[in-house]
Amino acid sequence: MEMYARITQRIRGYDDQDIGLTLLSGGIAAFILLPLIWLLIRSTYVDISRAREVLFRPTTAQIFINSILLVILVTTLSLLIGVPLAVLTVQTDLPFRRFWTIAVALPLVIPSYIGAFAYMSGFGPNGVIANVLSPLGIETVPAVVGLSGTVLVLTLFTYPYVFLTTRAALLSFNSTLLEAARSLNHSRWSAFRNVTLPRILPGIAAGALLVALYTLSDFGTPAIMRYDVFTRIIYVEYGAYGKDFAALLSVQLVVITTVILAIESQLEVPESTNQATLTNRKARQSLGIWKYPATIYCLVVVTLALLLPLGILFYWLFHGSAGITGTEFSIEYAVNSVYVSGLAAIVAVLAAIPVAYHSARNNSLISRLFERATYIGYAVPGVVIGLALVSFGLQYAQFLYQTIPLLIFAYIVRFLPQAVGTIRTSTLQMDPALIDAARSLGHSSVSTFRRVTLPLIGPGVIAGGALVFLTTMKELPATLMLGPIGFETIVTYIWIVQKSGYYGKAAIPALILVAISGLSMVVLLARGDFRGQQ
Amino acid sequence: MSPSDESSGNRTYTRRNILETSALAGLGSLAGCTSLYSDQTGAQISLSDFRGSGPLVSGRQPPGGVSMEEMPDLSGTLTLYLGGGERGLYVRLFDLLREKYPEFTLLTNTGPSTRLAQTIIQEYQSNALQGDVFLPVDAGALGVVAAAGATQKLPDSILTKVPRKFRGDNGQWTGLEGRVRSIPYNTNKFDESDIPNDIFAFPDTSALKGTMGWAPTYGAFQAFITAMRILNGPSKTKEWLREMMNYGVQRYGNEYFVASAVADGAIGAGFANHYYALRVQNARPDAPLKLAFTTDDAGSLVNVSGACVLAGTQQESLAQNFIRHLLSSEAQEFFATVTKGYPLIKGVAPLGNLPTIRQLNPPEFDLTKLKNLQKTIDLMREVGVL
Repeated sequence: MEMYARITQRIRGYDDQDIGLTLLSGGIAAFILLPLIWLLIRSTYVDISRAREVLFRPTTAQIFINSILLVILVTTLSLLIGVPLAVLTVQTDLPFRRFWTIAVALPLVIPSYIGAFAYMSGFGPNGVIANVLSPLGIETVPAVVGLSGTVLVLTLFTYPYVFLTTRAALLSFNSTLLEAARSLNHSRWSAFRNVTLPRILPGIAAGALLVALYTLSDFGTPAIMRYDVFTRIIYVEYGAYGKDFAALLSVQLVVITTVILAIESQLEVPESTNQATLTNRKARQSLGIWKYPATIYCLVVVTLALLLPLGILFYWLFHGSAGITGTEFSIEYAVNSVYVSGLAAIVAVLAAIPVAYHSARNNSLISRLFERATYIGYAVPGVVIGLALVSFGLQYAQFLYQTIPLLIFAYIVRFLPQAVGTIRTSTLQMDPALIDAARSLGHSSVSTFRRVTLPLIGPGVIAGGALVFLTTMKELPATLMLGPIGFETIVTYIWIVQKSGYYGKAAIPALILVAISGLSMVVLLARGDFRGQQ
Repeated sequence: MSPSDESSGNRTYTRRNILETSALAGLGSLAGCTSLYSDQTGAQISLSDFRGSGPLVSGRQPPGGVSMEEMPDLSGTLTLYLGGGERGLYVRLFDLLREKYPEFTLLTNTGPSTRLAQTIIQEYQSNALQGDVFLPVDAGALGVVAAAGATQKLPDSILTKVPRKFRGDNGQWTGLEGRVRSIPYNTNKFDESDIPNDIFAFPDTSALKGTMGWAPTYGAFQAFITAMRILNGPSKTKEWLREMMNYGVQRYGNEYFVASAVADGAIGAGFANHYYALRVQNARPDAPLKLAFTTDDAGSLVNVSGACVLAGTQQESLAQNFIRHLLSSEAQEFFATVTKGYPLIKGVAPLGNLPTIRQLNPPEFDLTKLKNLQKTIDLMREVGVL
């Protein structure tokens, strides 16, 4: 009887607007999957016997194990770093809280191949650090290579995903519950585990998923650290004119991604966790004496993930070869970077809101499917997406080939899930009764969305837009392949000088990259904070 | 350098004897680099603008060949697909051309050479070629594009500037600058006599066991293995790769890292294009790093960066004239002294510390065959190098 009531309620609730939202959300998902369909088609062109050889040789199993191991380790470590940092900066009276909020999010903007290069050249028996420290009598600095090196570098530059999504979830979280739990004599840890954690879990999971999939798609770090993963053989094939095989291998990557997405779906808390209200009160817990170790912890993370790599780049600026005059950095590159990244962030947020909202509100199979579908492009290396869109542009839309719109589309295919994940999390935390209330008070659905929903999911929208902006700022392969002729960004410039061996020349643009991203983060995170404090 | 070194064919060029030779050569030729070239339309650009700096450069003879002054002015807009990270290296040259010819506009699209080659082929097949000239760092990429029919024949006046073995079949492309496979080694660990001059002798040289490095995912290394596969057959190549792996060779992400690791002493020697060691040396003049070369085998393959005019360009004569400029005495002097490659026209010598191509005695090899990369990848994969 109760079940019958629920079903009829569900059917009645499925009004025209819901159908419109379903169609919109499905359309966006289909659009995002377009380049991946090309991959599937392309991969059927391969020579079957060679494909069998490539897929079933013993090293494939090793590469599979390596890739999975890397994903598990990086994701776990990112959680261990990102979640405590989010809790410290949102829920406690950590000294210089706002500063730390921005500083610990910033490593996200350092392209992982720059970070990996810095760590590789910085450590080791004759590395930069050994050179700098040798007057102090420190001669042996261990090298950072292999699995441990890859895990270290990827963790340091991806944990901000967990930090930012967890932070967004915490900001939407009503801390009066926490106070209630504490007043009922729960210990700090018990209150966190029983009250806070279940409610921010979707946010944590969204961040963990982004870390896992980014790890799967990253090429630069494992290549520099000499660790064999899937992306490396994809690049080898592609470099040897085997683009069909590159496509086939990418399909393998897509399969793994699908498995990860399915696992993550199982982990999630299906029950509604609606907490956010417009009168969300943010009482901060006092850290007391613990503020010293907490500050040191933040300092250590920022040193390893931000100061050290930048410092090593600056060492190269002063000790590396000067390069050839003419390879000077132009401010126009920075303007280009900000322009395409800003566009990508806006388009991504606009595309993500319907998908995320639909998925969070109707917890149906189809809405989940649409939402999950947007994640797949994220785990495919940028070069493969670029390849697919070059083919697509040349065959079906030549007027779009080597134009900004197609480049933005590539960014959206790769980075949309970052916005979908954070917005969905915020939507899940919102109490639907508020919407019903607004509607019953005579507000139109648009007006309700603008005046009730949007403010409530604001932190998620801002975090999502910020994530897309920051990752687009550092995106390289698609920018190289799809940018208009003569279009240079900060990162394509860095690529050029690094390829030429002028590592020192990467220092200034890398710093500009961090500075611009840092500034936008100040604006975006400050607004998020303000919203949370209202 | 002692005469016996030269006759044995195992040449290693120390920094010291370079300084000596260039000091001698420099006495008679100081005038050459100060003479000003002028142009009616553009800025005054002197030869010294095209030259690098340092002791090796100041004493050079004025370059031979045809000067830009004797070539038609560059004028109009040209779109260049530039492979590799070479834009960072060639940008100064392009800037000088822009300064010299105010009417000349050069747009570039940059990316890895093999990726650009595939893009060009796709564009060609869709009848949507965007570029006028393709300039990759590897002859194989030129071979692939030419085989797809996406290039057009260069005029003989350009082709005859460069030796036949550094040009494509049917005059479809020309080399611009040579790069030689080499063995960078750490001078604190080894003497030049420790480095074999036969690539196949490495696995039997016990002194180097466990101390070598290579970068098998790197394009230049794969071109080297392609040459070995074609020169010596797949089974001998596989055997060599297997023996090297048993020999404990370490893997690096690219050849700059190989040269850098040799300089650090992390490894004793490695396989890399010659200019990586020169760039490391440029950054760290005191690094205990020298170059050795093998003789008449794939280990001393001379590959080229080169250029072709793309089929159906609207800018045919400008494209040809642009390539002609890259083969001028000034541009070749730039390649020799700034990017530290091998000039390919007669009358311009490589930097003083490098043996000439004739002294190197590289193998006879048709560079167009470097395009057959997939078989090399399969072979490397089969033995487990990739």
